[in-house]
Amino acid sequence: MTKSFLGAGLAVIASMFAAGTAHADITVYSAGPGSLIEKMAAGYTAKTGHKVEVFQATTGKIMARIEAEAANPVVDVLISASWDTATDFAGRGWLVSYTSPNAEKVPAALKTETAVAQGVSALGIVWNPNSGTPKPAEWEDLAKPEYKDLVNLPDPAQSGASFELVAALQAAKGWDLFKGLHANGAAVAGANAEALNPVLQGAKAAVFGAVDYISLSGKAKGESVEVIFPASGTVVAPRPAMILKWSKQQDEAKQFIDYMLSDEGQKLVADTYLMPARSDVKANRPLMSDLKVMTIDSASVYSKRKETLAEFNGIFKAGQ
Amino acid sequence: MKSNGISGASPMTWLATAGLIVVVAVPFVFIILQGIFPQLGRGSLAAPLTHLPGLFDDTRLWRMGGNTVLLGLSVAILAALFAIPLALARALFKVPFALFWDVALLVPFMIPPYIATLGWIMTLQPRGYLQQLVGFNLSGFLFSLGGMTFVMALNTFPLVYFALSRTIEAVGSRYADVGRVFGASPWKSFWRITLPLSTPGLVASMLLVFSAAIEEYGTPAALGRRAGFDVLVTEIDLRVSDWPVDLPGASIFSLLLVLLSLAAFLVQRWILNRRSYVTTGSKPQHKEKRPLGKFSLPVLVLFAIVTFLATVLPLFAILSTALSKTISGGLAWNNLGLSNFSSISGNSAGALKALSNSFLLGISASLLTGLLGAVSAYVVVKTRFRGRNILDTMTVLPNALPGVVVAVGLILAWNFPGLPITPYNTPFILLLAYCCILLPQPVRYTTAALHQIGDNLEAAARVCGASAFVAFRRIILPLIAPSLVTSMLLVFAVATRELVASLLVAPVGMQTISVFIWRQFEQGSIGLGMAMAFVTIILTTLLPLCLIALLRRGGMVAE
Repeated sequence: MTKSFLGAGLAVIASMFAAGTAHADITVYSAGPGSLIEKMAAGYTAKTGHKVEVFQATTGKIMARIEAEAANPVVDVLISASWDTATDFAGRGWLVSYTSPNAEKVPAALKTETAVAQGVSALGIVWNPNSGTPKPAEWEDLAKPEYKDLVNLPDPAQSGASFELVAALQAAKGWDLFKGLHANGAAVAGANAEALNPVLQGAKAAVFGAVDYISLSGKAKGESVEVIFPASGTVVAPRPAMILKWSKQQDEAKQFIDYMLSDEGQKLVADTYLMPARSDVKANRPLMSDLKVMTIDSASVYSKRKETLAEFNGIFKAGQ
Repeated sequence: MKSNGISGASPMTWLATAGLIVVVAVPFVFIILQGIFPQLGRGSLAAPLTHLPGLFDDTRLWRMGGNTVLLGLSVAILAALFAIPLALARALFKVPFALFWDVALLVPFMIPPYIATLGWIMTLQPRGYLQQLVGFNLSGFLFSLGGMTFVMALNTFPLVYFALSRTIEAVGSRYADVGRVFGASPWKSFWRITLPLSTPGLVASMLLVFSAAIEEYGTPAALGRRAGFDVLVTEIDLRVSDWPVDLPGASIFSLLLVLLSLAAFLVQRWILNRRSYVTTGSKPQHKEKRPLGKFSLPVLVLFAIVTFLATVLPLFAILSTALSKTISGGLAWNNLGLSNFSSISGNSAGALKALSNSFLLGISASLLTGLLGAVSAYVVVKTRFRGRNILDTMTVLPNALPGVVVAVGLILAWNFPGLPITPYNTPFILLLAYCCILLPQPVRYTTAALHQIGDNLEAAARVCGASAFVAFRRIILPLIAPSLVTSMLLVFAVATRELVASLLVAPVGMQTISVFIWRQFEQGSIGLGMAMAFVTIILTTLLPLCLIALLRRGGMVAE
C-alpha cells in the first residue's frame, strides 16, 4: 500500500509541476475587482504579446505579500485600492518614475511622478429600497430613528477609503455624527463586502459609506440597491498603479500602464462601474464632476491615523 | 504507555525526521526569527527584540488570549456533547440507517467553515431565510459567544463522532462483556471498561476540535467582531493585512497560540500515558452489535436533529443563495434561477480550473500527510528513537499555527534570497502549506490507533524474519488503515477548501476553490460564490465515498 501511495503521490506532483511553471513576462498584483484585472491582462497580452501573471487580493493581503517578499520581490506592477500606498511606497523609494503618454487626460489630482490612477471609486450611502425606510439623502439621516439598528459601517481599520471618509467627515462635522450613529444602533461590520451583504438581504437598510462600484454592478444585475452620494460631499478613492523599482521588465511594465490608460483599457474600467481615470472616457455612472468631493490633506490625516481609529473605536466599542 | 518498542527502524526514523523538518520546522523557525528580528523580511537581522516591550504592555494580548481559550474550550465541550451520544449509539448498537447517518454527518466536514457561517448569518439575521419562512429571527443569539460556539461546534463535532465511534468499535463490546460475565451491571461495565478504553479517541479528537477552534478565522471574524469578542487569530490577521503590516507583532501573537496548543497537547499526553490502552493483542475480534430495542426511536430522533442542524440547514442556506437570481429577491419562486451554476459550468472567472487545481492539491496533500503522518506517529509511539519527543512536538505544532502564519513563515523561508531552487511561486508552496497545516490530523488519528496495538504482534513478525519496514507494511499499516484513511479523507476535504493561507501564498495566476469563492464574495457576487461552494461540497463528499467503496471491495478498510 505504501508503494502505491508513493507512486500515486509522485505522479500527481509531477503533473502539477508541469502545469504550474509557465514563465510570466510581467507580474501584476492588483486589488479587486478580479474580473477587471483579468480582462485587462488578457487585453494587454493580445495587444503586445507579453504574458501577464496576476495575483489579485485585497490591498491589505497584497501589502502583506509584498512585505514578506521584500527580500526577493517578484511584483512588477502594483494596483492598489488606496492612494496611500502610492504615497508610502514613493516615500520608501520603491517606485519607478514614469509618465505614460496616455496619461495626458488624467486630471492632475490622479497622477504623480511615480503613480497614476487606473480608475476611481467613490463612497456613498448604499440603501435597499425594499427595506421599508425612507430614502436617505445625507450622512446625518442615518442617525435618525427610522434607521434604528438598520445601518452598517465598513470598518475604517480594514478599508483605506472608509478611513478617509471618517477622517473627512470628522473634520467637517465633528465626532457627534458618529456618536449619533452609534446611539442609533449602527454596527461596524468588517470590510466592504461584509457590510453590504446584510443590506442586500434586508437585515440592514443601508451602508454608511460603501465603495460604490460593487453596488452599482449589483444594481445592474437586478439587486434592490441604490447608491446615494450626499450633496454635502463624499470622498473618492483613486486606485494607483505603480511600477516597482526592482522590476526586471520595466519596459513591459510601462507598456502595461500605457494599455491600462488606453481607450480600450479605460473602457474596461468603466464597464466594471468604476470611474475611468481619464476625464475624456464615458461611463454609465455618476462621474467626478457629478459629485461634491471632500478633499483631505492626506499627510496630516494619515499621520493621525492611529488616534483617529482609536477615537472611532472608542465610540463604537463603548457599551457593546 | 511505557515504550518497550522495537529498535532498528532507522529508515523510517530518517524519513519522519526529514519530512517534518521540511514541512513543519522550516516555516516555524522563520516565524520565530521574524518575532526576534523585525527586519527579517528585508533580509536584515537589525534591531532584534526592539518591538517586544510595547506588545507585552498591551492588555489586549492577554484579553484575546483569554477569549481564545474560552472559545476553544466551549467549542470542544459542545462538540463532544453533540458527538458522544451519537458515537456510542453508532459503535455499540445496530442503529437503523447507520451508513446514511455516517454520510450525512460527513458533510459538515466538507462545508468550509466560512461558508457555513455565512449560511447561518443569511438564515438567522433579520429578514433572513428563517424569518422569510417562519416569521422570526435569531440574530441576537447568532452574534454572541453562544452563537459562535454553536456554529463552530456543529462544524467540528464530526471529528469527535467519527474518531470516537471508530475507537469504541475497536474496543468492541467484548471487554465490556467480560465485565458483564464477572457480574458488573451494563452501566458499570460501560463506565469502568468501555469508556476508559475509549479515552484516547475522545481526548485526541477533542484536542483537535480545541485546536481547530482556536485557529479558526472565518467564524470569529464574521460573528465575533459584531459581538465585541476578539480572539488571537483575528488580531494576527489584522496585523498581517492591515497596512502598515506588522509581521513581528503577528509572529509574537502566533507564538502565544503555539503555547496554548502545546498546553492542550501536554494534557492529552498526560492522559494517554497514565495507563495502557492496548486492546488489539491477538486475533481479530468479532464485533457484535446489539439491537437498540425500545430506544430505536429516541436515538433516530437524536440523529435526525443533529443532522438537520449540522448538514441540512447549512446546505439549504447555501443552495437557496446559489439558486437566487438576486439576494434582495429572497426566497421567491420567480427569483429562482440556475444562472450561477451555468456561470460555473461555463468556466466563468476560471471556475473549472480552480476546481481541478484544488482537487489535485487536496489529493497530493492527503497522500503526503498520510505517509508522513503514519511514519511519524509510528516512530513516536513504537520506537525508542531518542529524538522522538521532538518529533512528537513537531507533529502537533501546526495545530497551533493559524493558516495566515504558516503562509507568512513559508514566504519568509522559501523566498529567501540566494536559494538555488525554491517552491515559492509554484503550486508546491500551496502543497507545503496544506501539508503543514493538516499534518496533525493523520498523526493524531494514527497515534490513537497505534496506542491500541500491542508490541507483541510486530515482535512476532520480526522474530519470523520480517524487516522493520515489512513488519510496518504488513502488520501495523493494515491495523491502522481505518484511522489513517479517515484522517486522509479529512485532509483532502480541508485542503480543497483552505482559505487563509491560499489567499497569501497562491502562486501568481493560480486560483483555488476557496480563492475563487472569496473573490466572488469580495465583488458582491454572493450567489456565484455559494454555487461554487455547493458544487465543491457535493464533489468532496462523493469522491471520498467512492474511494471508500473501492477500498472496501479491496478489503483495505474495515466495515
